[in-house]
Amino acid sequence: MKETLLLTKHMRAFPENSHNIEVYEKNNGYSALKKVLKEDNPENVINEIKDSNIRGRGGAGFPTGVKWGFLAEDEDRYLVINGDESEPGTFKDRILLERDPHQLIEGVIITCFASNIKKAFIYIRGEYAKPARRVQEAVEQAYEKGYLGDNILGTNLSLDIVVHLGAGAYICGEETALLNSLEGKRGEPRLKPPYFPAVMGLYNKPTLVNNVETISSVPWIINNSGKEYAKLGVEGSTGTRIFSLSGHVRTPGNFEIEMGKSFGEFVDTFGNGIKDDKKLKAYIPGGASAPWFTGDQLDIKMTIDDVANAGSMLGSGAVVVMDEDTNLVYAAKSIVSFFAHESCGQCTPCREGTTWLEMILERIASGRGRLSDISLLVDVCDNISPGLSWPPKMTTICPLGPSAVSPITSLLDNFSDELMKMLPTKIPIAQ
Amino acid sequence: MSDQIKINVNGSEIRTDSDQLIIEACEDSGIHIPRFCWHKRMDPVGMCRMCLVEIETPRGKALVPSCTTKVSEDLVVDTESEVVKKAQEGVLEFLLINHPLDCPVCDKAGECPLQDQTMAYGPGESRFVEDKRHFEKPIPISEIILLDRERCILCARCTRFSDEISGDPLIEFIQRGNKTQVNTFPDEPFRSYFSGNTVQICPVGALTSTSYRFKARPWDLKKVSSTSNCSSMGCSVELNVSQNKMLRILGEDNEFTNQGWLSDKGRYNFEYLHSEKRILKPVLNNDSTNEISINESMELISNEISNDENSNISFIVGHNSTNEEYYALNNFVENLNKVNKDLNMDVYLSDDYLYEGFFHNSDLLGKVEDLDSVDTIILWAQDIKDNLPTLYLRIRQAVKNGKKLVIFGHTNTAMKELSDSYFGHEIISKNLEFNVEISEIPNFNEYINDKNVLAIIGKSSPIQNTNPISNLVNYLDQNSNLKLLNCFSKGNTFGALQNISLVKGLNEFINEFDSSEKNIVFTIGSNPVNSSIYSNQIKDKLINANFVVSLDLFKNETTELADIILPTTSFGEKEGTFTNLEMRTLKQNKILPTPGSVLNEWEYWSMMLNKIDIENSYESELELNLNLCEDYLDKDNVPSFDNLNKPSNLDGVLNSKSINIEIENVESGTLEILFVNRLYGDSSTQINSPSISMLGAERFIEMNSDTFIKRNLSDYTVNLVQGDITLQVKIKINNDLPNELIIAPLNRRGFRDIDTTKPYELIEVKNLKELSVN
Repeated sequence: MKETLLLTKHMRAFPENSHNIEVYEKNNGYSALKKVLKEDNPENVINEIKDSNIRGRGGAGFPTGVKWGFLAEDEDRYLVINGDESEPGTFKDRILLERDPHQLIEGVIITCFASNIKKAFIYIRGEYAKPARRVQEAVEQAYEKGYLGDNILGTNLSLDIVVHLGAGAYICGEETALLNSLEGKRGEPRLKPPYFPAVMGLYNKPTLVNNVETISSVPWIINNSGKEYAKLGVEGSTGTRIFSLSGHVRTPGNFEIEMGKSFGEFVDTFGNGIKDDKKLKAYIPGGASAPWFTGDQLDIKMTIDDVANAGSMLGSGAVVVMDEDTNLVYAAKSIVSFFAHESCGQCTPCREGTTWLEMILERIASGRGRLSDISLLVDVCDNISPGLSWPPKMTTICPLGPSAVSPITSLLDNFSDELMKMLPTKIPIAQ
Repeated sequence: MSDQIKINVNGSEIRTDSDQLIIEACEDSGIHIPRFCWHKRMDPVGMCRMCLVEIETPRGKALVPSCTTKVSEDLVVDTESEVVKKAQEGVLEFLLINHPLDCPVCDKAGECPLQDQTMAYGPGESRFVEDKRHFEKPIPISEIILLDRERCILCARCTRFSDEISGDPLIEFIQRGNKTQVNTFPDEPFRSYFSGNTVQICPVGALTSTSYRFKARPWDLKKVSSTSNCSSMGCSVELNVSQNKMLRILGEDNEFTNQGWLSDKGRYNFEYLHSEKRILKPVLNNDSTNEISINESMELISNEISNDENSNISFIVGHNSTNEEYYALNNFVENLNKVNKDLNMDVYLSDDYLYEGFFHNSDLLGKVEDLDSVDTIILWAQDIKDNLPTLYLRIRQAVKNGKKLVIFGHTNTAMKELSDSYFGHEIISKNLEFNVEISEIPNFNEYINDKNVLAIIGKSSPIQNTNPISNLVNYLDQNSNLKLLNCFSKGNTFGALQNISLVKGLNEFINEFDSSEKNIVFTIGSNPVNSSIYSNQIKDKLINANFVVSLDLFKNETTELADIILPTTSFGEKEGTFTNLEMRTLKQNKILPTPGSVLNEWEYWSMMLNKIDIENSYESELELNLNLCEDYLDKDNVPSFDNLNKPSNLDGVLNSKSINIEIENVESGTLEILFVNRLYGDSSTQINSPSISMLGAERFIEMNSDTFIKRNLSDYTVNLVQGDITLQVKIKINNDLPNELIIAPLNRRGFRDIDTTKPYELIEVKNLKELSVN
């Protein structure tokens, strides 16, 4: 198993200065843009993206070409790049922003050309100071060189890019909360319906919201054609993905591979196995929101559909590995605490439920659990995510609440013995 | 109107408008869906999740909030499925885990949606063994509102109200997640004219008002619907009384007037009813020790009236009487005239903003609801936000729904941001005349030409030549499809106009008052010696009058000059009708007993007639009401008590009478100061209502920054000096005013003596201090 470098090729070749516009230009940078401008046919660009079958890299995996097709007609339309990469375990957009910002900017310009958009925003999470600085510098360089502003490279195309730094809220990775934050409001998800971004997005105008990795793929697709891209990976999960591997592996990091290999092979090849030769007990296949897989499920293929069929999600491509000595109750509590802390507070089940779950797990973890806590945990989870099915149903406005439910259902489904071990053996009289 | 469609709810078919939300459609068909955050007058936010229902979608059943989901043809809704019940129970449990168990001391307990819905839909017992969320117990967020964040369930009704409805978003959510709380901005209290509405719509006891806190339990309250006297909008209210004390006024949702909202003045101006300072017995010669019986007072007055040497009897009426009382007064005048034809009798309305108005053409008269259907709203009148606060809310809603708003200066600057065009000093001179031809006003025609227009028209200043107003109305009438609201803002002004044959202004009173003759003056629920720009002259006249009778609630500057003070009933103590600015007549109801030997005004008029042996006196409000109904132009739908008590007429009855106002058009002169009435002032009802008495205390003037600089000012506290008058005032900068025109509140202590047409000086207070040190 080998990496296939499309998006990370340039930064691997020039580890010191891949973010520099001269280096980018010298290595075929902005050639896709020039090609597109020369052809001057937005329809072709959209067709290439559709041919590539690329699906969004932010987590939901929605086909990008279809998304572009949904964008409602309006004089003002916006593109918003979602760089609020906050899912625990995910750090792939960071390198794209920090080390190859021009690849993203080129993708943005092409996307805007294809969708007739005059203004784009790159929203970067608040903690990403250095990536934001790099992107800002890159945007300024692009303006100087005539890739941005009015009459790009002498054509009729005009585009402005605004780089915006978030204020440290996970929820702003949810696209409508991101739009609120960008408008200067509280970072709270909007109601869908009616606020579907493609119809009523930023400032109530039709808005495309795409992930950094998705748009960074656009220049390669244009240079090499969508059909070439679709040859990579497998049907339904074409192209490469940058997986962020972390946890108890020997060599964590970002690895760009074609989709379709098994998780076991991926962990062995790129993580070089588990630290101290321990056994793998569980792993998260797609970021903290995703239900866990066990050590017996390592041959699941790394594709959007395979992971979904197995009851989880490939999500943002964050693979977190937990070894045999991991206390999974602590692990679950840690993840639930994260979601409780990041709940925006807007809707009742998430605001109250996530914190309650955290409190119960905290109590169990500190040895004050009760046997009845198991049924309580299940029922509170059920009140956030009715039926505890996958994909989750929800009583909440957005999927953050159900995300806090995933680790608990994972724990209860496959590792309930670990939870039982932390509870008193005697049944209290009240039961 | 939208199309009717059919949907299926819990197995039965219902018909509904196609643009409704599920929760509305169900409500209209009698299916109640529990909710906390949804309010029919505000945008849905889907936050509390209490109203979740199941609908059938192509991908199976889905739980959706019924407050954010619109109905569609053949939609199948289940509001009672097991999944729905489980979700509702879950939401309630979530809301309760952090809700304090202080219902026994909570004002809301007994009328609390959280309590009620917990009983109906909630879990039986608590499974929460952790610590509850704690905040400092109630924190004052303004002079009249307190916030208990532990009780708050974060439904955003209050924050949405402040943002969407009243437009002063002074409260907001801060923090996030489990720590989310409502609060004000640092050093910026929730000082809104409409803050009390948030207390009323709070679904728990998180927001409370100083006036009602710990005063009563809801199950002890006696309640009656009535109509507020606060402004000529005639807001529908519910009066809440316990142990014969008015404790609370709530807004009622009247589609044609206030739509449920009230200003804080309308809501909290009632404590005076039970003030110890109320006059409870007739008083002779303004001497409190000299109380007399009603019979004695009637003897004295009727003797004076019957005196043959009389030549003039003047009646200065206020705006707090019922239509029946105005009618009884009118009947008194007419009958007295029959007996003594030489007697000169006139009724003057104590309102400096009175002028002839536009009543001659009844086709021209508009309605409040026209705000929602016209293209353009034209406003040239006194400050709407201060004087017709709930009309201001209606205008805000209309603008939000896309109506154009055009305002002529120099009042209503607070609404400039709301407007599409504000014509200030370039168009309107300091003296409230047009600087340019109306047809030449830039961009004005595009707002009106062939458009449906509602004009809200009245005097902006007590001293104002009204020709420019007439010119504007004529122009609008010729160039647009015009409807008009006459903007007299005070209480039951329109009831007075409808029921008194001829109404004159205070200026007429001064001009017609002949000191050489024998004069009797009645002041009725009015305090012209403290509320008018003519106050000083009126005071002179009253001193010169031979006999003055004041019908009032409190001693005030006018009653000081009275030979006899007759104590009268107030709002809540009398039954009658009220007519609002669109000629909608609404019912006012009695819920309080009359205190002491207090009588209704009409009873005094009847007794006096009886004393001087004139028949035609009335014996009840009902009799008066039936008689006054005879003069209405539309005979089929008269505002009789019977008719108004019909369920279909609870929102009032539209009907007109002929109106006669005789008033001289004054010259504008040169305005140096523009008087305005602020919502809060120094009226005797307000200063005797402790919860809100301090709100009208601040003395401030407004000017633009150029004037501030030209006058070499550097400090915002100055002495306003004019002749013998020195007033310490605060300056607020308002750059929408023309140069050298300042705005001053007429209804704040001290200002009424100032002559608005004469120059004045502004001297910095700190300079005075320096002088005194030297």
